[in-house]
Amino acid sequence: MNVHINTPEGTRDRMFAECLERRQVQGALVELFRRRGYTEVITPEVEFYDLFVQSGTPIPQESMLKIIDRSGKIMVMRPDCTPPIARVAATKLKGQPLPQRLYYDQTVFRSGQAHQGGSIEIAQCGIEMIGAVGEKADLEIVVMAVDTLRACGMKRFHIEVGHAGFYRALAAQMALPTEELEKMRTAIEGKNYALLNDLLEPYRGKPACEALRRLPYLFGGVEVLDEAERLAGTNESLGYLRRLYEELSAAEYGEYVRFDLGLVHQLDYYTGMVFRGYVEGVGAPVISGGRYDGLMEQFGREAEAIGFAVDVDAVGACLKVEISKLDTVIHYSPGQLSRALAVVDRRPAGSCELSPCRTIESTMNLAREKGAAKVLILIGGEERWVEV
Amino acid sequence: MSERLRIALTKGRLQEKSVELFEAMGLDCSPVKNPGRRLIHPLPNAGLDVVLAKAPDVITYVEHGVCDMGVVGKDTILEKGGAFYEVLDLKFGKCRFALAVKKGSDFYGTYKTRRIASKYPNVTRAFFEQKGMDVDIIKIEGSVELAPILELADGIVDIVETGATLRENGLAPIEEVAQVSARLIVNPASMKLRKGQIGQFIAQCEGHLGKRTKIAP
Repeated sequence: MNVHINTPEGTRDRMFAECLERRQVQGALVELFRRRGYTEVITPEVEFYDLFVQSGTPIPQESMLKIIDRSGKIMVMRPDCTPPIARVAATKLKGQPLPQRLYYDQTVFRSGQAHQGGSIEIAQCGIEMIGAVGEKADLEIVVMAVDTLRACGMKRFHIEVGHAGFYRALAAQMALPTEELEKMRTAIEGKNYALLNDLLEPYRGKPACEALRRLPYLFGGVEVLDEAERLAGTNESLGYLRRLYEELSAAEYGEYVRFDLGLVHQLDYYTGMVFRGYVEGVGAPVISGGRYDGLMEQFGREAEAIGFAVDVDAVGACLKVEISKLDTVIHYSPGQLSRALAVVDRRPAGSCELSPCRTIESTMNLAREKGAAKVLILIGGEERWVEV
Repeated sequence: MSERLRIALTKGRLQEKSVELFEAMGLDCSPVKNPGRRLIHPLPNAGLDVVLAKAPDVITYVEHGVCDMGVVGKDTILEKGGAFYEVLDLKFGKCRFALAVKKGSDFYGTYKTRRIASKYPNVTRAFFEQKGMDVDIIKIEGSVELAPILELADGIVDIVETGATLRENGLAPIEEVAQVSARLIVNPASMKLRKGQIGQFIAQCEGHLGKRTKIAP
């Protein structure tokens, strides 16, 4: 039989510093989440395909890795953490008082196109707040998103906030056929100014037309809200975002927050505030989240929900993690193990290790091969340092 | 923030037209015109580096964020797709996707599953899907016109500029699939993190496009 020595496309072995990067991010996030009152749930890696279809998840069918179980049911490798957590919250946690603050630290699996350099396995950490609605809940989540990136030591980043309601209100005024509406939404999402102009040309007279035409440009600082107000008049979602921003500024989070009113992705799923996190030097959002108040209902419990997921490895790649270099090898004689271990345990992790060799010569060779600078020899009661 | 922006241009004709546009905008493009062996061309006195690449690679570089912007044909965008902002129709490199068949043949007049040869299988699939028609698609890498002549396919979906090649080979376009022209695409994260720089560049391009209708397609 041919043994495959390569990993499947889209998967990889992670080694040393790469593992440390991931663990460092996970550690920082989990610590933050727990400190703020979130508790962990772990859901199965494999779930029924139906669960995700039923949840209205925006993950396309072809991105899910499928397995057929013994009874012939279709299962998938978890492509998204939120629907399973909604399922848990709607069933097993049904009796618990709301709001519930939950966090996860899991892998999601999404198969992409071949040779695109994407990963099938994506490490995600995230939170879900179930059963809380309104400004304070949204405020808490945006603040969590900011603190998430701060906890990981990120310096140049921002959280970009939008609101599904703003576009909805404008689109409703246009009374367009569904197909046209979807074309318009896609053009706004892709900031395809030219196409959007052409699409809106026949509707010039309509009141929302000008605001929709400008929508892809409406991203940036808080001044975006002023412009949107000039174009669309007072609007519930705009007022909401403005109050949110005031609160964020008062809490000294304002500098991390931007707006993009053209965030109109996955509108069947998101019902209110939506946001993404960008870090300088990373070509894709590292945080993605929003409010999905319709989700829990799909699993039989009426409760609002909001949350976000962090792309752990994308954040990890921004860290400068170095594995400490081996500095000292310890050669010890019988009976000296506890002394030797005491030395190892006092040193920085990875800088010192025990020699398994019987003779000092072999230990010296080993130290040379591994690039260590010194050998510590513990024989009887004495202690001797030798330069390699 | 004053870090340099990086733009990927599609090699060949779109590159020439992009350079014309940039020069009209007052950028000194001499490094791109005399590229030598270098692969990255910093434009003097401008915070812009130019990279030259094949069309699909322009999209790849922009998607991965190693280039902030790119100039690429709508044909490649339609075929390859991807996650980026398509912010400007640059109005040059104009042509169209068309369905062409042997002159005189009745493409729609049969119930048999038609076979289509194309360099653009995804564009072809989307076109016939939207018509609700099942077709067999054969991917051809070189001169697609050959496929109907050799009777491998009933028709082709390909880029048509003047139609001369089709005519010479006894083929005729019977339906337009899509209009094509060069587009300016932008990586979403770059757009957000460097709004000022990129916004200014887009506005400059836009301004000069308005004036430049005289430039041949």
